[in-house]
Parts: sequence; structure tokens; C-alpha cells
Amino acid sequence: MTADRSEVLQGTLDLMILKTLHALGPLHGFGIARRIEQVSEDVLTLNEGTVYTSLLRLQQQGWIASEWGTSENNRKARFYSITQQGRKQLAVETENWERISGVIGRVLRLEAEK
Amino acid sequence: MVSKARGLFGQKEADLEFGIETQTHLQLLTEKFIRQGMDPKDAWSAARRQFGNTTLLRQRHRESRTLLSFPNLFLDLRYGLRMLWKSPAFTIVAALTLALGIGATSAVFSLIQGVLLTPPPYQKPQQLMLIQTARTDGKKMDSPRGWATLQWMEWNQKLGSFQGIAAYDWTFNFLIRNDGSQSMQGMEISKDYFRLMGLKTALGRGFDDSDFGQGHVKSILLGYEFWKRTFNGNPQIVGQTIRISRWDSSPVVIGIMEPGVRFLPSPGAAKEPNYDVNATVDLWVPADPDPKFLKEPDWNVVGRLRDGVTPQRGLQELAALTANEASTEKKFEGFTPQLEPITDEMNRDGRRILLPLLGAAALVLLIACGNAAALLLVRGLQRQQEYAVRIAMGMGRIGLVRQVVTEGLLLALLGGALGVGLAIIAVDLFKVIAGHAVPRLDGVTAGWTVLGWGLGLAVLAAFFAGAFPAFRAFRLNPMEVLKDAGPKGTAGIGERRLLRGVAMLQTALTLALLVGAGLLIRTMMKIAAVPSGFSTSRILTMSVTDVQSHASWAPFHKQALERVAAIPGVQYAAFAWGVPLTGNNWPASMDIEGQPPAAKDSDMIALPLRAATPDYFKLMGLALVDGREFRSTDDEKAPTVAIVNQAFTRRYFPNRNSVGRTIWLGGRAPNKPGVLIVGEIANGRTDDLTQEPTPEVYLPLWQAQAFSKHLVVRTTADPRAVVVAVERELRAVDPTAAIENVKTLEQIRDDSLASRTFAMHLLTGFSVLGSVLTLVGIYGVISLSVASRRRELAIRSAVGAQQKDIRRLIFGEGFRLIAGGVLGGIALAVIVSRVLRSFLFEVQPGDPATFIVVGILFIAVGLLACWAPARRAGKVDPLEALRYE
Repeated sequence: MTADRSEVLQGTLDLMILKTLHALGPLHGFGIARRIEQVSEDVLTLNEGTVYTSLLRLQQQGWIASEWGTSENNRKARFYSITQQGRKQLAVETENWERISGVIGRVLRLEAEK
Repeated sequence: MVSKARGLFGQKEADLEFGIETQTHLQLLTEKFIRQGMDPKDAWSAARRQFGNTTLLRQRHRESRTLLSFPNLFLDLRYGLRMLWKSPAFTIVAALTLALGIGATSAVFSLIQGVLLTPPPYQKPQQLMLIQTARTDGKKMDSPRGWATLQWMEWNQKLGSFQGIAAYDWTFNFLIRNDGSQSMQGMEISKDYFRLMGLKTALGRGFDDSDFGQGHVKSILLGYEFWKRTFNGNPQIVGQTIRISRWDSSPVVIGIMEPGVRFLPSPGAAKEPNYDVNATVDLWVPADPDPKFLKEPDWNVVGRLRDGVTPQRGLQELAALTANEASTEKKFEGFTPQLEPITDEMNRDGRRILLPLLGAAALVLLIACGNAAALLLVRGLQRQQEYAVRIAMGMGRIGLVRQVVTEGLLLALLGGALGVGLAIIAVDLFKVIAGHAVPRLDGVTAGWTVLGWGLGLAVLAAFFAGAFPAFRAFRLNPMEVLKDAGPKGTAGIGERRLLRGVAMLQTALTLALLVGAGLLIRTMMKIAAVPSGFSTSRILTMSVTDVQSHASWAPFHKQALERVAAIPGVQYAAFAWGVPLTGNNWPASMDIEGQPPAAKDSDMIALPLRAATPDYFKLMGLALVDGREFRSTDDEKAPTVAIVNQAFTRRYFPNRNSVGRTIWLGGRAPNKPGVLIVGEIANGRTDDLTQEPTPEVYLPLWQAQAFSKHLVVRTTADPRAVVVAVERELRAVDPTAAIENVKTLEQIRDDSLASRTFAMHLLTGFSVLGSVLTLVGIYGVISLSVASRRRELAIRSAVGAQQKDIRRLIFGEGFRLIAGGVLGGIALAVIVSRVLRSFLFEVQPGDPATFIVVGILFIAVGLLACWAPARRAGKVDPLEALRYE
């Protein structure tokens, strides 16, 4: 079912957005989408709308803040920035991610050796 | 959080902002595609494709902004209200059901809150310990005994585990007024009492050292409630003197005690007519121990443990010191201290009656919840289609559960509101009928507490009643339901089994209640059948006291008796100290001829004394068995005499006569004249109807000269008719005479049984409530079963089953349900009826007769509830039913 897959994707997306905001400073949704596209080198295709669901969720958690500003070509856009709490969360999540991906990596290698 | 809170107000605004954000994104994306060389038209649609479904996104945003926020709750509430409004019959039945349960429980809770949970106005009351007396040999004390000044003063100095020790005693007097004097109960207290207890005055000052001293009492405090009642709360009273009976000088009121201060127990005074340990203190008197009586055990003692010291350690130290005292002073021998936390002592009676009642009320609430849950569940079945359509239309399951829970909650709140109304009425009713059954009831108010308990219970009830239907809604499979499109109001086997389980549980709970009520009813019947030995009808009693002086005592009482006896309609009149069932008597230690003199105080024979004027025994119907009655010549100039009862003779002179023997009150002493026994009367259960008669000694009132006493009048007709005439005659003798507590002996009898009567009434009420609810429940379950099995029944009758077979089938289902419940209930009742043990009289908690009668009765009534559905089942027309399907 689609719901299950997006669930996983969302969690990862949250982490990616947090990291992007941490690395690049305040960005609007479009900018975030571009950055992820660029970094993922088109491996990940995503509905860019889901970025906004993710942003709302992060905001509700208090990990990012937003304010209205103007984009490159004078359009009204909302700019998101990471909060202090968000930075802490990012550290935690990053560590989590590395541990889990390490474990999964080891498990998968085991499978391959058999 | 901010955006969620904004969801409450700025729903539209947030939508708008989100729209702008989306548009900007799409435009930027389009421009990007154009820059990459796409055709503008294609670019726009490519951008939209890459962005995804905007409508869905907006919908999801809205949801996550408002997942649990108020707009949805508000919608749910509105919808729920509409649904309840649309089916008034269901709503009324369900809300009333819950209201009965909630009302019963919160009414009893209010009593518990007011009586047991409200702490006394002392500082850190859990540290306060009453120091009570027990015998070192572990035997029961014949009569209560306090502690001597020498003892508690030494304790106060030497005990390390106590912050301090204070002594007190109960005292009783009258405020002298020209239009009928007024009784006052008071506490005589040692210097440290107020400081130790942490009591403060509301007005004026407390006692200081100068107020304590030998001789006349110079200063007193008044109790707050007494001050409000008698002096209308006039602050001018502080600094003035008041006249008090039996005191030679008029003391100055130096202050008013803070409100709500009640007595500590004075067991030695407990048999006094006006003793009421649960009352608020009217009068505070400073008491300095008399140096002449330092060894007399006259004091009740209370101590405060130091912080962190356990009662066990305190007792160890205290017991060691007391044993030491006993080894040096013969008078102290044979007694050892016991510690009783003040709060335990205060709550003992209340706990004994209120906790079982709370249990009963909780059972009623559970039964009511069962019914409400069944109603909600059945209603949920009827609305399955609606739920299925809602799910199919995209309502989340969480949303559906929330909807169902909201409806349950609404219902419970409605029931809670009604229940609080019922509870307020019930608490007022309790205060009227339970005055003698529950201590400190005057402190109970049906206010915010009831409301709080009611609403709390409502939420609890909503949870219980709503859990089943909510769970079902959560698991609902819309496909099945919609595909089925079956008839409404039917239930599958699973639901029917669940409902049967609920009804069975209700039956079990109800049966436990019924057994409790049955045991108490049988107890009351047994008590009514007990031969009391005296007559209770057509007897009027009132406490009458001459407050003037010792010299006026005899003339007042003689004149009063003559005048009252002359009133038309009065058969006999007498004064008596120790009227039956008031609990009054005068515990006295004595030596009896032929019994070995006691070696130490603790071995002395202690018996209750009573006193009466000559006509008393005739008046009460206590027959003379031997010797003579009192004569009016048995007065202070004549030799002292006494009359004893049969139980006395049987104990001390078995198979012999007691008339002509001698007793010595307070013990034998050289040259001390004894009291000659001149008569013997029949036994009566004068102390307590449930106790076998015990040895009693009566003295002539003219010799005993009791201060407190009752005027007892036997009338030819309704005793209440002569009240006015009697009071007029007494006032004619002395207008300042105190006339209080006017009651018939029947009322006194009822008061003495009050806690049992109250428990019986309440349990009976609760079990009737429970029964009605359960019968409704059984009826509902069987009806639903018939409706759901319509098709099966139709087939059965099509293949030849007769009406009576069908009926038997339904009755069988009902019978299995009820009998199962009854069996469960009996098992439950065997356990719970034990808590009633202290209320029972000549009935065992496991009384088989009660169990059998109640069980059979309930099965019979329960089958009646199945009668209508069974009839309906018998009338199922096979053709119609099958076609209908």
C-alpha cells in the first residue's frame, strides 16, 4: 500500500530537509526541493508537494521555524530555517541513521556472503 | 504547536498561505523547466506532475493541522448532539441509566469526602496519637480508664519520641438563661493542649499560663459554632462574663475558637446523656491538675510524635516508662498504654458504614455502565451501515472512533449532569435520615464536591460504556457491511455473546447487592423480634436539668414530678439516669458481698449504675422479681439501697437471692456503710438490643442525685400530645430549667439502630435500582437475540416447531443467562457479604436461606423480563420473515 511506503520516505525526507536547512541556512520549499534533487542525482524522485507536508510536520515539532520573504525573482515565499531544537534533533537522528544503516549494511553483506 | 493552535482560529488563513506557497513553487518549477528548454504549456503540466496532487496535499495539511484540535471536536460534538437529539428514547434511557449509577456513587462519595477525607483542623493530624489504656494481662477492660496526672506529666518530661503530651477531659454544663438554659459540651484541657494540637482562636486570645490555676475558672473560650448559634456571632461577647451552672463564679469569655473543632474521645464520659464525640466543642475550659488527686486516673491523654518517629517506637518508649511507673506505684499497676492515631479513631465508625455503601454504589454504577454499553453497542449495530458509508467516503478510522467516543462522552456528561442533580437530592436526604448513622454528617455539603465526583465518574462511565462500541467501530469492515446490506437491528453471534456476557455480569453484581440487602433485612427482622424486656410504646423522654443550685435539686424534682404526673393523659412520670438504648449509664467499680476484694484497681468489679425514681420500673414494664421497688422515702436521709437485675443475681449469687446482700461502691473500706440490695427486677436489653442483658445496679435517684437525667413519662395516648403541657409544668417550677432532647422511647430505639437501618435502606435502594437496570438489560439482550434470530426462528417454525417450542427456546436462552449470572452472583456475594458482618445480628454472612430466596426470586423476575421477547418470538410468521429476508 502506498501509505506504508510514503511513511518510510517521509521519515527520511524529514531528515534530509533538516540537514539541508542546517547546511545551507534559510531556504524556501522550492529551494529545498532543488537541493535534494541535486544531491540525490535523480536517484530519488519525489512528489515535491510532500516536501511541504514534511515542512509542516517539522514545524509542528518545533524543529524548524518559518517566515515570509521574497524569492530570487520577487515572489512571495516562505523561508524555513532550522531551530536550536532542530539542530539537536538532527544530531540525534544522524547518529540513529548511521547506526541503523551500518547495521543494515552489515546484515546485507552477511546475506551476500552466504 | 503554534500552527496547531492557529488551526483553531486561522483555518482559512492557513489555507490561503499554503495556496500561495504552492503557487510560488509551481511557478518557479515551471520557469525552471522553461529555462531547460521546455515548451511553456508542457512545462506547467510537468511542474504539476512533479509537484503531485495539490488538492490531496491541501487536505492532508488541513488534517495534520487539526488532528486533535477543537474544530473537529466541535464538529463531533455537534454531530453527536444531533444524533442524540434524533433518537430521544435511546438518549433518555441511556442518560437516565447512567444518571442513576453516577448519582448513587457520587452521593456516597460526597459523604466519604465530607466525613472521612476531610482532615480535622489540627496541624499534621497524622502525628497525633491518642494514648489509650489496656490491661497488661490482655483481658478486656470492664470500664474505660484514663491516666493519672503523675503519669502523663512524667511522660511529657521524659519521652524523647514525642514532641509533647497533653491531657483533656469532657465536661458538661449549662449556659444559664431565664427562658430555659442551654446545654454546653466542653473540653477541659491542660496547658499544652492548644499548642500541641495546633489550634488557633478565631477571635480574642487563647489561654496563657495565668489562666491555669486552682480555684474558680476565670476564663473560658467558646466554640465557633456555639458562638454563632447562641450569640449570633456577636464579637462583643469577648471580654464579657457568662453564667454557667454548677460554677460558683462567672467566667470571662476571652476568645472564640476557630471553626470545625470537634471533641477527642473521652471514653470515661461516653455514657453521659449529652456526650457526643462527633459534635463541635461548645466550651473550652483551662484545667490545672489538682495536687490532691495526682494519682487518680482522670485524664485522657493525647501525644504528638516527633517528625519521622513511628508509632511503634513511640509506644515502646512509652510502655517502658509506664511499666516503670507501675512498679513504684500500686495504683498504676495492671495497665499499659496503647497508641491509636487520631484519624483512625475519628474515622472508625464512618469507615465501617460508608465503605460498604461505596462498594454497593460502585456496583450500581457498574451495572448502569453495563446497560449503557449494551445500549451503545446495539445502537452501533443499527448504525453499521452509516459507519461503513462514512469509512467508504474516506473518514479515517481514528475519526470514526473519535466520533463514537464523543457520543459516549456526551451521553455520560448528560447522565453525569442528571446524576449530580440526583446526588444533591440524595445527600440532602442522607443528612435527614442518617443523622445518627454517620458521624459528623453536619460537616457534609453537597456542593462542588458532588459536581466534581459526578463529572469524574461520568468520564469514567463514558470510557467504560464507550469502549466496546469504539473498539467495534475501529474493527468495522465496510466492505462486509455494505455487501451484506442486511436488516438493521440485528447482531451476529459474537456481539450477542458479548452482550450476554455483559447481562450475566450485571445479574451477578445485582445478586450480590440483593444478598446484602436481604441479609440486612433479615437482621432487622431478627432485631424486631428480640424481646427487649421493657416497653417502648407511649413513652416520652426528655433531658431535664435544674441549673440553679445543689439546694434546689430535691425540691425542683419532687415538685416537677408531682405536676407532670397530674397532667391529664399522663399515666406515670419518673426521673431516670440511664434510660434504655440511650447508651447512658454510670460505669462504677464496686465490691460485692461474697466476692473476693480486688487486690489491685484493674481487678475491681465494674458495673453500670443507673438511678430512678419509684415509678420507673412500673412505667418501663420491667417486672419486679424479688424484694421491693424504690419508695419515695429512699432519700438522702434514709440508708442507701439498690435494686439489681436478674443477670446480676445470676452472675454473683447463682441459685441464691441477691436481696438482702450488700455492695460497696468504689470499694470496701473500714467503717464504710454498704448499699443494701432491696429488690430484683427482670432483665432488659437496656444497653443495646443486640446484646444479651448484662448485670445492672439501680440506685434511688433521691439518693444518687444525678445532675443529668431524663424525665420519662408514660401516657395513655400519643406521647407527643403532652409535650407542650409537660414543658409548661416544668417551666412553672423553674423557668431556667433546661429541657432538651425531647424524644419518644421509640425514636430512641430507632436511633440506636440507625446505622443498621441506614445501611439497610441504602442497600435496599441500591439493589432495587440495580435490579431494574439489570432486568432492562436482560430484556434488551433477549429482544435483540429474537430480532437477530428471526430467520432461524422462521425456519424452525416452517419445519414444524410449535409456538411453545420457540418460546421454550427463548426462555431457555434467558434462563441460561440469568442462572449463570445468579451462580456467579452467589459466588461474589459469599465474598462481599463479609464486609457487612458487623451490621448483622443472628444472621451469618453466608446465610443459606437468604441466598436461596434471593436467587430464586431473581430468576423468577428475570424470566418475567424474557416473557415479552419470547412471546414475540412465538409469533414470528415464517412466510413473512423469510420473504423479508
